[in-house]
Amino acid sequence: MTTVVVGASSGLGRALAEELARASHELLLVASDPRDLSAIAADLGLRHAAKVHTLALDLAATADPGARVLAALAELPAPSALLLPVGQSRVDDDGSLGAAATGQLLAINLHAPITIVQALLPALLEARGVVVGFGSVAAVRGRSRNMVYAAAKRGLQGFFESLRHRHSGQGLRVQFHRLGFLRSNLTHGMRLPLPAAEPAQVASQVVANLEKASFDRHAPRWWALVAFIIAHLPWFVFRRMDA
Amino acid sequence: MSRKRGFALAETQLASFDRSTTARCHVQRPDRYRLLEALPADARRITRGGGVSFVGASFAHDSVVQEMGAFDRLLEFDPEQGRLTVEAGARIGDVTRFALSRGWMLPVVPGHPRASIGGCIAADVHGKNPARDGTFRQHVEGIELFDAQAGWVQLGPNQDADHFAACFAGFGIPGLMVRARLRLVPAAQAYSLRSIAVANLVEAAEVLRSHANAPLLYGWHDGRAGRFGRGAIRFGLEAKDGTTGKHRTYPDLPETIAPWPITAWNRIGIAAMNRWVRHRQFVAGQVPTAAALFPLNEARRYFAGFGKHGMNEAQWLLPHASYAEFVAALEAEVRRLRPRISLIASKLFEGKPTGFSFDGSGIALAIQMPQPRQREQAAFIESLTELAIIHGGRPNLIKDSSLQAATLPRCFADFDNARNALRRFDPAHVQESAMTRRLGL
Repeated sequence: MTTVVVGASSGLGRALAEELARASHELLLVASDPRDLSAIAADLGLRHAAKVHTLALDLAATADPGARVLAALAELPAPSALLLPVGQSRVDDDGSLGAAATGQLLAINLHAPITIVQALLPALLEARGVVVGFGSVAAVRGRSRNMVYAAAKRGLQGFFESLRHRHSGQGLRVQFHRLGFLRSNLTHGMRLPLPAAEPAQVASQVVANLEKASFDRHAPRWWALVAFIIAHLPWFVFRRMDA
Repeated sequence: MSRKRGFALAETQLASFDRSTTARCHVQRPDRYRLLEALPADARRITRGGGVSFVGASFAHDSVVQEMGAFDRLLEFDPEQGRLTVEAGARIGDVTRFALSRGWMLPVVPGHPRASIGGCIAADVHGKNPARDGTFRQHVEGIELFDAQAGWVQLGPNQDADHFAACFAGFGIPGLMVRARLRLVPAAQAYSLRSIAVANLVEAAEVLRSHANAPLLYGWHDGRAGRFGRGAIRFGLEAKDGTTGKHRTYPDLPETIAPWPITAWNRIGIAAMNRWVRHRQFVAGQVPTAAALFPLNEARRYFAGFGKHGMNEAQWLLPHASYAEFVAALEAEVRRLRPRISLIASKLFEGKPTGFSFDGSGIALAIQMPQPRQREQAAFIESLTELAIIHGGRPNLIKDSSLQAATLPRCFADFDNARNALRRFDPAHVQESAMTRRLGL
């Protein structure tokens, strides 16, 4: 069986690829730059003797990413797990983005994950497999930055909720991790008010949970409390919080 | 923090391993190839690998620091020929463990397992017996480099050979090294370690010369007046059966070692430490190869003991002809100034000096001292530098923070040529570190 990781070239995606290779999964890694993919594939092959296939795909510039992933899987064992640690944010995402930049953010954070899930759904259902999505703390409550990103992540959360509802009891497991701060290039250089988790640590938990039933939870778990507080802050307090 | 053109910079305080140099720096942490290309071509920058150089070789307050930690992947391995291609951010300890698991090894590795492959090339490091194995350059077949102006460049002995040669002891000036192809040798399963006691540094040189073919060969010496040079030459031969018995495994030495609140290496501390090291040096036995290659893993407390004021390591390679005279003069200075020397290490070199590389034919002495800015200590370091220059010594630029630009032309007869040979590949001084600036490179 093949495990598909979309957004595998950096941060959590790369850590997941490493963890899955260590657990002897055969992998299809998807990312935009073939140079990154070939380096990761070579490394996982040498260190873990893993079978690693790659697909270079620019999610923002591909009309139907799902079809491309499906085509890449044609010659491989059937997929049993799909992980979507894919995401992109911008510092100028403050409500002033043009149509192209907005479309790009929506494509990477929302459209691509949805189309890939839908394309692989029949195979995953047949394999009684697992779909793993990743949300963001940014989606807990809309703020004056990361506006499109947060909206896309909230949309993705809604899609995974529907997916879980639709396939409840049908063998497909739908897991959604609402991520807190991660130590990655997305947060590099930011002054974060709370500690950032190591991608390797989160990846290890995600892989350990792959055989479990559907869920929607925060990762690390203590972020549930933070999200609860942010969600329930009175408006007059929340609007004064640092943008 | 600023974010533009697809890369993020974090403002971070960085320090050299010897704690002599600190700077608040803008750090880029590229984790994809396109981010290596993202800096504007004229942006001043310097590459940072493991960040464990004794001196400030991987940062400067007004250079963007490109941290290569994410470029640590193994790319290609030929188990028949022993060729391994890796990304330049790969740690030498990790590469060694991988190679050993396949029956191969790099014969030249520095003491710190977290040094990166790129760093080993940039400093042209030496290993446990440079007289036998040369320096790192002897074991690299090719380099892929990103040049801010020229883009991606493939280098090798037969491909842009001058640029390839400039990368070794080039201290990052010839460009951002991204990949390297390494030439491995069949690995020893274990080493049988023995020690020979020596009464002084001249006797040490004789023992080093008589064991020049041992795979592991280095000396430890007391630096105190009255006991100056007393110590042991440690040599290791490949163990025939590979068994090592019970051997404590130490984790890799961390990149940064939290200093103790006080300097432990006062006269009493140094006396106690010397007694302990002397006891350890005379323990013979078979040691796993990885442990023998990275003895610094056992030295975490030693480095922490230098405290927040740090240390200085002056490492000089003295020609055989003037070595004995230098040692006599140095001993006289130790008696006169009574510096606190925590350790002296000796090694044999039989190579050919090139550019600013730490290589040549002679005996190298590494002299480590606590609190280098204290008046008495600084006076001794200055005196040591003068003595070494008078006796034709060649300094190790990657070790000694006390060296200044004015000193270098006196140490390297062809200083201008060597500097021009490096800056030829970076005439606009885009690649600069605190070290290259201090030394006027």
